[in-house]
Amino acid sequence: MTVARRFTFSRLLVWIFLAAIVIVSLFPFFWMLIGTTLNPNAVVAGVVIPGKEFPLNWNKAIKNYNLPVYFLNSLKIATLTVLLGVLVNSLAAFGFEKYRSNAREKVFSVFMLSLMMPQIALVIPLFKLMSSLRLLNTHAAIILPALMSPFIIFFMRQNFQMFPTEIMEAARIDGAREIYIFFRIVVPSMKASFVSAGIYMFLSQWNSYLWPLMTILSEEKKTLPIAISSMMRAYTIEYGAVMIIVGISIVPVLVLYLAMQKEFVSGLLGSVKG
Amino acid sequence: MIAPAIILYTSFNLYPILSSLNMVTRKWQGMRTTYIGLGNFARMLNDKIFWQSLGHNFLFMGIQIPIMIMLALVLAAILNQVRRGRGTLRTIFFLPCVTSLVAYSVLFRMLFQTNGLLNNLLMKLELIQSPIGWLNDPGWARATIMIALTWRWTGYNMVFFIVGMQNISNEIFEAAEVDGANKRQQFFRITMPLLRPVILFSLVTSISGTMQLLDEPNVLTWEGGPANATMTAALYIYRQAFVLNSDFGYAAALSYIVVIITAGFAFTQMKLLGRRD
Amino acid sequence: MKRALFALMAIAVLFVIVPSLSAADAKTITVWCWDPNFNGYSMKEAAAVYNKSHPEVKIQILDVPENIEGKIEAGLQAGGAGLPDIALFQDYVIEKFILNYPNAFVDLKAAGVDYSKFAVYKQGPMTEGNKIYGIPFDTGSTGLWLRADYIKAAGLNPDSYQKNMTWQDVINLGAAIKAKGGKPLLAYDTTSFDTLRIMVQSTGTQFFNKDGSLNLRTPAMEKSLAILKELNDKGLLYNAEGWNNWVSAFNNGETVGLLNAIWIIGTLKSQPGNAGKWMAVPTPRIEGVEGARNASNNGGSSWYVFSSSKNKAVAIDFLKSVWASSTPDALNFYNTILKGAGAMGTYLPSRSGSNYTAPDEFFYKQQPVYKDFAAWMENVPTLLYTPNYVAMRDAVKNAILLMFKGELKTVGDTIAHAEAEYKQVTGR
Repeated sequence: MTVARRFTFSRLLVWIFLAAIVIVSLFPFFWMLIGTTLNPNAVVAGVVIPGKEFPLNWNKAIKNYNLPVYFLNSLKIATLTVLLGVLVNSLAAFGFEKYRSNAREKVFSVFMLSLMMPQIALVIPLFKLMSSLRLLNTHAAIILPALMSPFIIFFMRQNFQMFPTEIMEAARIDGAREIYIFFRIVVPSMKASFVSAGIYMFLSQWNSYLWPLMTILSEEKKTLPIAISSMMRAYTIEYGAVMIIVGISIVPVLVLYLAMQKEFVSGLLGSVKG
Repeated sequence: MIAPAIILYTSFNLYPILSSLNMVTRKWQGMRTTYIGLGNFARMLNDKIFWQSLGHNFLFMGIQIPIMIMLALVLAAILNQVRRGRGTLRTIFFLPCVTSLVAYSVLFRMLFQTNGLLNNLLMKLELIQSPIGWLNDPGWARATIMIALTWRWTGYNMVFFIVGMQNISNEIFEAAEVDGANKRQQFFRITMPLLRPVILFSLVTSISGTMQLLDEPNVLTWEGGPANATMTAALYIYRQAFVLNSDFGYAAALSYIVVIITAGFAFTQMKLLGRRD
Repeated sequence: MKRALFALMAIAVLFVIVPSLSAADAKTITVWCWDPNFNGYSMKEAAAVYNKSHPEVKIQILDVPENIEGKIEAGLQAGGAGLPDIALFQDYVIEKFILNYPNAFVDLKAAGVDYSKFAVYKQGPMTEGNKIYGIPFDTGSTGLWLRADYIKAAGLNPDSYQKNMTWQDVINLGAAIKAKGGKPLLAYDTTSFDTLRIMVQSTGTQFFNKDGSLNLRTPAMEKSLAILKELNDKGLLYNAEGWNNWVSAFNNGETVGLLNAIWIIGTLKSQPGNAGKWMAVPTPRIEGVEGARNASNNGGSSWYVFSSSKNKAVAIDFLKSVWASSTPDALNFYNTILKGAGAMGTYLPSRSGSNYTAPDEFFYKQQPVYKDFAAWMENVPTLLYTPNYVAMRDAVKNAILLMFKGELKTVGDTIAHAEAEYKQVTGR
């Protein structure tokens, strides 16, 4: 399918359109990078020429704010959520898809309904629950509720549809136990789907804000989004340092996405077969 | 196999929701609770601010989601035909959605403030005469929220559409070409219908996201301002519970209304999604 | 499969248990406040004074600029888990906590603090019957801050405005400067309630009745809104959205002045280039309202000890011996934070300190601003907040914004709109 040469004018329009979208998409990032080199007044004034204050801003970000602590906290929370969450959800999805029963379908519908559940409805009672479990101000309070995700179950179930049931049956005949089938046969051959689910879970946990804001009380347990937003509420805002922390908060997700782009996209492929 | 998911679901989803039924019938402030029966629901009926907030959710849904989905479809259709630089462009368009909510709200607030970069730029280009109140005029503030949402999520949906389009076999298009269908006809007659499940999937996630909208109006437009113009249901509930007079009972009752409404939505969508071709 | 799963679950549980095992050091006092250059700085100075006589006590001061009340609410719900020993509360928010969480705070009157030595207006919100829970920290005594150089540039004499003015005088001044091509008179934060609050409180009028019901239909409200409307209609306000834009408006010389409390002084001084330009005059008086005077208050906060604190005795002793004592060390401490951060305490004996009366180089003609604000503080009327203060504040703030936009035409409409929103939001 090549676009015929004779449509040069419309081709030009398409390229202008694409260029505009590229600029709009990238501009905030570009501005953020410049911001890391400016003093706070210049950031507010909207200067778009790089300055020389990067080292100063970097020092502030490291010394005045516990950047490494926030970073490690975020990383720990997101990683644990992904590891445990992908396991729990993919097991459930596999169960729903390959061991169907009426009861299971009912449970699945209930799960799907809660996909639409507004988080805020959960926040208050969940908060009370966490407080009675004495889990407030712990990272567990952030991880536990995020593990089971109806969206990921739905997503993985779509993916498992592609997995041929015959292979499982053959393995069973060979005497393999279900646990073996799942970890040794299903997981290796569905890597891309797991990667997609993992990236998705990482992204949403890495960026989560409201719930950690409510449950985390002490400085040494703060996550990056919480740190950024509290820096923005301060009486004097160190914009340059904020820009650095914002930039750093983007790096892991970006690296993850770029490194696993292929798997991510082909994992999505499995879920949107329809 | 389903057991762990069920356990987690019951403890951190189902149980809290059911236990909050107890709060709904109470005025629940701090350590003081009083049983007031259906009092919270009676109060809700007179609470125009809440219904307006809910209205804003629907407004954002009705305007922003169609624009975003169309834009994403167009981008996907273009990228699907581009040969060189497809991967790079896809990554660039996807980039906005990897930024954290807080980070991008912060960037946008600085860009959109009255004396911010955007207004300066528009004035220099002489597109506008005086600064636009992106954040402090009710209409513009709503537009700003929608612009921000579109910036963040268009690329995300686009990736799904690209993948969906790649699944449509080329033979269909070739056959259509032989039959004399032009690109536009191909897009509307072939691509769109075959993408239906993917589009529905995008719709479901977008609608559920918009129903939960809280952080953008909280950070970007100062707690749903100006004058509640960008207040959403979720933000209003949050404020009732944690900012105003901490009435957890009333907040829980409001949540139930939102749950019932979204459940209605979800049900319709499930019906649509469940129909598999 | 189940075993693997349980192993993973066990890891999760470990993450839960390990942090709760690390018990706090018995001699550490944790304090929450929200501005490292102001109240955080003051607390640090206080800690240094206390450590001279009690070197074994470690006082840890944490900056919690976001959602501090939400976090405290969270901690109180959790029976004190995660809470510090001492926290700073805005005066306008504490009534809600005292009411909603009985016995959450230590009664400091019973612990022997002499309240006759603190400014009376600070004690209203922290009192419940015979109990008084807080140690008053700073005053929000207000004044009108003006740029003398801008007044001069308009051909006027700054000295002739250093007097008790009415709002009409102020509007005339603003119009005169504007007529000469000058800047707008006041920086106005459209997301904030401060200006109106200062105006209404200057008359001694309350936003609430004694029974807690709303009281917006007052001459003070009507006059204040009319003045705001006139200021805005005449282009005398520089509308900025949010605290940071508001600050950069006056710090970057976009306005002739601002109306706010003494605690803004640190922000003003953060721009050394403006030295010699600023002056402070008394809060303008609202003419024709009974009780109107040239003094008001905005903001101000106080320290509270949580009953859940494991080191209650130490925390109380710390607050008592530094913040509520007339020892030379303590008085010297108040004198230090005044100069260091512009933090003006409400402990009356401290007002004899040398920094209160010293001429201040930063101000026009070395005005001794602290002495002036301290003098104005004596006339500040007490304000009744009630637990619904925030709901009232936001409703009025929103109505003012709509009035500025021209959507609400009259003062009467504006009040009615605020009342309606308040009623909807609070259900009262």
